[in-house]
Amino acid sequence: MNKRLLALLGVAAVVMAAVVFMNLEAKPSAGDTALKTAWGEPDLQGLWAQKYQIPLQRPARDAGKEVLTDAEVAQREADREKQAATAPKRGERIAPRGTLEDLTGAYDTTFEADPFENPRPIGHRTSLIADPPDGRIPRLTPEVQQRMREMREFQLALMQSVEACKKSQDIACFGVKPGPVSPRRAEPPPYYVAAQIMGDRVVNRADGPEDFGLSERCLSGQLPNIGGVHQIVQSPGAVSILYEGWQRVIPITTSPHVPSQIRQWRGDSRGHWEGNTLVVDVTNFSAKTDYQGSRENLHLIERFTRVDANTIEYVVTMEDATAWEKPWTVEVEMAAQDATANAIYDEPRCHDGNIALKNMLIGARMDDKAYAEGKGPDPATMCYLLCGTGNPEYAKSRMEGRGGGAAIDGTPASSSGRGQGSPGR
Amino acid sequence: MGNRVQGSLVVMAVAAAIAAGAITWVTVTRTAGQATRPARTADGKPNFSGIWQTLGEANWDVQAHEARPGAVTQPGVFPYAYARVPAAPVLALGAAGGVPASLGIVEGDGEIPYKPEAAAIKKENGQHWIDRDPELKCYLPGIPRAMYMPYPFQIVQSTNKIQMDYAFANAARTIHLDKVNEPPADTGMGFSLGRWEGDTLVVDVTHFHGNWLDRAGNFHSDALHVVERFTPITPDAIRYEATIEDPNVYTRPWKISMPLYRHLESNAQLLDYNCVEFVEEFVYGHARKQQLVKHWEGETIIVDIKRKIPPVESR
Repeated sequence: MNKRLLALLGVAAVVMAAVVFMNLEAKPSAGDTALKTAWGEPDLQGLWAQKYQIPLQRPARDAGKEVLTDAEVAQREADREKQAATAPKRGERIAPRGTLEDLTGAYDTTFEADPFENPRPIGHRTSLIADPPDGRIPRLTPEVQQRMREMREFQLALMQSVEACKKSQDIACFGVKPGPVSPRRAEPPPYYVAAQIMGDRVVNRADGPEDFGLSERCLSGQLPNIGGVHQIVQSPGAVSILYEGWQRVIPITTSPHVPSQIRQWRGDSRGHWEGNTLVVDVTNFSAKTDYQGSRENLHLIERFTRVDANTIEYVVTMEDATAWEKPWTVEVEMAAQDATANAIYDEPRCHDGNIALKNMLIGARMDDKAYAEGKGPDPATMCYLLCGTGNPEYAKSRMEGRGGGAAIDGTPASSSGRGQGSPGR
Repeated sequence: MGNRVQGSLVVMAVAAAIAAGAITWVTVTRTAGQATRPARTADGKPNFSGIWQTLGEANWDVQAHEARPGAVTQPGVFPYAYARVPAAPVLALGAAGGVPASLGIVEGDGEIPYKPEAAAIKKENGQHWIDRDPELKCYLPGIPRAMYMPYPFQIVQSTNKIQMDYAFANAARTIHLDKVNEPPADTGMGFSLGRWEGDTLVVDVTHFHGNWLDRAGNFHSDALHVVERFTPITPDAIRYEATIEDPNVYTRPWKISMPLYRHLESNAQLLDYNCVEFVEEFVYGHARKQQLVKHWEGETIIVDIKRKIPPVESR
């Protein structure tokens, strides 16, 4: 059986709800103004999701403009509707039946959220980043830029022999200069594959699980989670947050963080109340995580404030002097969702159903075997990333819709700001 | 000191402890670490918020069992069933690979009322523990198993929702005391609907997929229906009971019970056991280009055990 088909069947079997939450906003009801818990603390509880569609970083076309006028917002809503009319719908075929592109697209359009389905209203703010005032992630330190260059060089080395890249320069092939099979194919990457540098994957190779992205390994679900759906439950002394597929408990305490030798994928959270605001300090991240270039030295200061019955303001400041030249702050409005719909039902079971990773590895071994027996192409010439995704417009929308991760030129990505941005989780 | 005097002192001490406990239970606000911890919540319910863990060997085997040399065994030199020795995969672990004895958590005779065909599956499961136990693959443990695994979990108790967050596999479940719609599909951790009956939290859990109850191969199907009862014994101990019903597997509903104990360390906090990463070799190793474990035959891992007996003086 075709390797990609195997992989895709596996992917399809992984229950990764592409549930779209945007239109589930709870209706405000009279008397629903009790913003304190039974024990008198500010009440942050409920099911929350980002209220407006606002990019993480301010796009070039809005440079120097922090907010849009009502007329501009209306115009952008109209533009989006026009775009939506021509974009492929969920489950719609984007290539002839039975082609590789058809298979790839079938998964994407069935399981990934359609960016045009039940969209959030377009917000007046032009970036979620509130500080620095230019709405852009501060410049990366030379060390991080160097690390990204090294990773990018490794990535390009593994792509230079890919046959598909000789024909087109689509998502995966962008910037690839065709060449012979690189000896670097036998090397480990220069750094842990934590960031999603380009498209879905970093490394055009499937020698083992470590060559894959964190989302494919079911290891995504990172902080900060900017705008994603989450459920908050409180008790005196603790705040539990259930995100899409993972949870954390924030102890309300003045005690210091855990010792520095204890590192966690989601760091170590310490919360306290400042008036009506829950302030959470997060440190002790793992070196295997990467948020916009920051790894184990990431320091988050999160602020959750219930501003009215249906709104939480989430403000998070990112600090890491080893990654950025200065701290930066994101502000997101979170809207209350209809909790009776139980739409949060997306438990951390990605790993339980991860037939995809196994099948992709097995597929790669079948390629190795076929090549060894003279029955197939050299795997070094094959594309294990997103080469040849048929519809260039769709490919473009995928790339633009993808949050987080670093852009191919080594600068932080402009993104929709959905946490690490891994719709494939 | 005579035995009788000692005995009396013990009785007095116990009586004093009970009295102190009772007073605490009714009136006193206690503290653990930085957090104040009243015995009751603001709405008058028993306060279950905190970090909990069971003691005991239920995760090895929920049924009453004697100590075993390993979770998987093989015939020893003597052919008797009671003289088996550890099987190769756990042999190198020595005494750490054995299974401690336990009276079990199954009420009554300590035995699960399996249907005959299910009893056969259970037996076979036990012999194929390493291949079949979802715990070893870091899969979601489900309910009730998550409640007695050797990892802590945290209860965050609010008025309409009670959240239970587990260290193992970052698993979680929300107990809904308010109205919510049913989930659209089966789940790993179940769909929990709760209600208070006096001081007892009763939780009805459904929508499971088939899963295991322990490392001994005890199991249930997707027809599992669990009714849990959480009743305070003291502010720091909960009587946990669960009625387990699954007409596909058992001849009748049966019951488990055990105490849950509060972590009283002043710095207690839930740390993640993100085992997904730890089991990649176990789950995907056979599909590596260059295998770390050198003896894979298809999807079967062949473990060669090399062990040096250390010289006596270095022990």
